[in-house]
Amino acid sequence: MKKKRRGAGAGIRQCGIGLTAVLLFAFALEMMKSGAGFLTPLLRGHLNIEHAADCLGLGWLMAYVVMSGSPAAAIAMTLLSADALTQIQTFTMVTGSRLGASFIVLLLGFIYAVRGHQRWTVLSTGVLSLLLTASLQLPAIAVGVLILKQGWFDSLRWPWLGRLSLGINALLNPVMSPLSAILPPWALFGGGGLLITLSFQLFDRALPELRFEKAGLHRTSRLIYRPMVMFFLGLLVTMLTLSVSVSIGILVPLSARGYVRRENIMPYILGANVSTMIDTLAAAVILGTPQAVTVVVAHMTSAIVVSLPIVLLAYKPYKRLMSETLEWTMRSKRNFAIFLASLFLVPIALVLS
Amino acid sequence: MTQKIRMLLYSDGSEVGRLALALGQRIAKAMADTVDILSIASIPDEEDVSIQAVKAIADELRANDISVAIYRRPGAMGEELLEQTDATDYDLIVISSRGRRGIKRLLAGSRACTILGTVATSVLVAKGRERRGISHILACSAGGPASKETIRFAARVAHALGASVTLLHVMSQVALEESAQGADLEAEAEELMEREAREGIHLEDMLEILHNERVEAQALVRHGLVVEEIVAEAKKGHFDMLVIGAHTTPNIGGLLFSDLSQQIVLAANRPVLIVHQD
Repeated sequence: MKKKRRGAGAGIRQCGIGLTAVLLFAFALEMMKSGAGFLTPLLRGHLNIEHAADCLGLGWLMAYVVMSGSPAAAIAMTLLSADALTQIQTFTMVTGSRLGASFIVLLLGFIYAVRGHQRWTVLSTGVLSLLLTASLQLPAIAVGVLILKQGWFDSLRWPWLGRLSLGINALLNPVMSPLSAILPPWALFGGGGLLITLSFQLFDRALPELRFEKAGLHRTSRLIYRPMVMFFLGLLVTMLTLSVSVSIGILVPLSARGYVRRENIMPYILGANVSTMIDTLAAAVILGTPQAVTVVVAHMTSAIVVSLPIVLLAYKPYKRLMSETLEWTMRSKRNFAIFLASLFLVPIALVLS
Repeated sequence: MTQKIRMLLYSDGSEVGRLALALGQRIAKAMADTVDILSIASIPDEEDVSIQAVKAIADELRANDISVAIYRRPGAMGEELLEQTDATDYDLIVISSRGRRGIKRLLAGSRACTILGTVATSVLVAKGRERRGISHILACSAGGPASKETIRFAARVAHALGASVTLLHVMSQVALEESAQGADLEAEAEELMEREAREGIHLEDMLEILHNERVEAQALVRHGLVVEEIVAEAKKGHFDMLVIGAHTTPNIGGLLFSDLSQQIVLAANRPVLIVHQD
């Protein structure tokens, strides 16, 4: 009985944290939207961010700075909302945010490994995650740009979006109005950025415990599942957890030794890359900007357009290519350093191009 | 004295069919006391060639005190084989693979894989070039308790044919977290056995099974994708035959798991023995 009560208490606490996270997320987005206007001359003037490639690099580097992809993608949405970016620029900035999402894990792991704390192999999943994300997200840019340029989703209407946005504004206005009057735009934008990062941390704490054991999916460290099974599992779990790294972390308790077969993790990460945009979709909806919603829908569609043929038709050569690239990267500290350096240099080169 | 087995050999008069018949004959001489030969030919010319070859092999097997029955049927291989295996319990079926690739396989499917998916018996799929003998076998162990059956069967075959065995285990795992025992993911077989890691203990158990059958055996661990590593090792080590387990998972499990044995049969260019596990 006591146990049940404790369980109910924990559930209520988690719901409370989740609700706080949502409110904080919405509030942070509004703050950033109010402050984003000042960024237009900064981005187009001093930083010379004018092309899609610049925005790809910007989103990539921003994810490094905030140590996560989701806040960087949400920032891209607010910039679009404030007309600081075009739809295509926003699309590539969101792609950049995905590419930079798991870099921090690799960097910390590398520092540990150089100091001799860890074996190289513990970095494998991080490297694999980055490789898979890049192999999916980079070709998806072409599909996404085509969708947006052709305006295929322009006919989609979101009539409820305006009403929802009005409701959220009415809820947040008593706090937002005085804040906007007091704080300068840069402080609003910066403060919003910090709060959005905090809201994602709260989301992680509010997550319910997922029990794969009961679903018969507890043997990912030993047996090899069909690629489509792992693809949809990754897609579903990430839809619930909002983060690729959190959904990978959920697999840890399934193996006593913290292992997963690479045949299983590859389609899982591909699926996760499709649904990881769900929080960005929420950001676009909360901002009440139809163009932002279109960008996210285009992003998810292009990820599906690229990943499904890989999983259904070309999975064997694809997994071989990814596995061989992983082997090369992990073969020596020199190779890993080259890989890591390229992750720094490529986005910088994109921004400076 | 080793218990003899009952075998079903398949012949269709084709080049690969003759390969299967020759391979089956070699194993039957060493292991079987009863052999049924199913001769199927949808093309009349092939039928003549097939029955002549079948009769010659049957005579040779009978000369080795093996009871032989010949069944001649028209029709498709899959249906006839299934009918035959439904009527009689076999320990081993020997079939050939047409080796369809690319679009052809996509459109017509794989005959060998269809049979593997339907019969509940160990199947030897003859593939690749004709071999002078079976002297070196690559036996693959998945690392779980079900592998015992695979390795026991491999040991019996190796003993009967006087072949040596390389026991292969592929580790395709990657570490999910910092606290994972990463060292095991890089270790060779000897290291895993010395360290008494889970895979090391398993390999020692499997080696014991092979040694108990007085088969010369050594353990090997490769790191990478399971199917690719098995096929690469088979090629690198010039093995004459691959032995793998077929894990049949009932109900929903069958929809969840990949069929690695079928993938290996399709990718390997040498005979593959798929040991059925209940």
